[in-house]
Amino acid sequence: MLVLTRKIDEEIKIGEQIVVRVLAIKDGQIKLGIAAPRSISVFRGELYAEAQRQNEAASRVERSAVAEAAATLSGLNVAGTEPKS
Amino acid sequence: MKWSNRQFGDLDFDPDHVVEFSSGMIGFEQYKRFIIVHDEDSEPFRWLVSIESKDLNFPMLDPGLLLPGYSEGTVGAEKEVWVIAALHANVEKSTVNLRSPVVIDRKTRAAQQLILDDDSLPFQFPLVAAKSKGGN
Repeated sequence: MLVLTRKIDEEIKIGEQIVVRVLAIKDGQIKLGIAAPRSISVFRGELYAEAQRQNEAASRVERSAVAEAAATLSGLNVAGTEPKS
Repeated sequence: MKWSNRQFGDLDFDPDHVVEFSSGMIGFEQYKRFIIVHDEDSEPFRWLVSIESKDLNFPMLDPGLLLPGYSEGTVGAEKEVWVIAALHANVEKSTVNLRSPVVIDRKTRAAQQLILDDDSLPFQFPLVAAKSKGGN
């Protein structure tokens, strides 16, 4: 891991297309500005990990479980079939 | 064209309907190309099925069925929006991910899985509890 020290308004350039700028530091929080091409996804690390967990869980779902969930849902009348009250 | 998936067997698809994720799905970035399979037994769920790995597929749901207005409120009405469903045979443990929907451009079929900047949207939204909230 590369460790760098930066001050407010200073930047870090990653490759040719990504720039990270320190915008503000206050009460133990750092505000960063990140400029990157649209094709590069930028996520908060803990949110990425949570999304990954949910995707992994979904990727393990068997067709039979979906059929069962679908049947239960239609029994509960959840999936948009409910008449508007 | 044809593709064989572990759960669905042989699938026919129109190449124009292929959904292309330039960054892949979160955690599965190496797979970019998917088709949407409408399996009658899974209705109203759809399946996002990889055409690069025969083992990779995600059940998903039109969020409008649970929460009318969700799509317009999050990404705008011009894109097709899906939420990924982590389903269990026990429907009460089943959840959908409202925080990171899949959005698909209706014309180009270019797709992306977002993480929305809204703490009030849960990664695990219970499918059954959706009934009371969605019915308002």
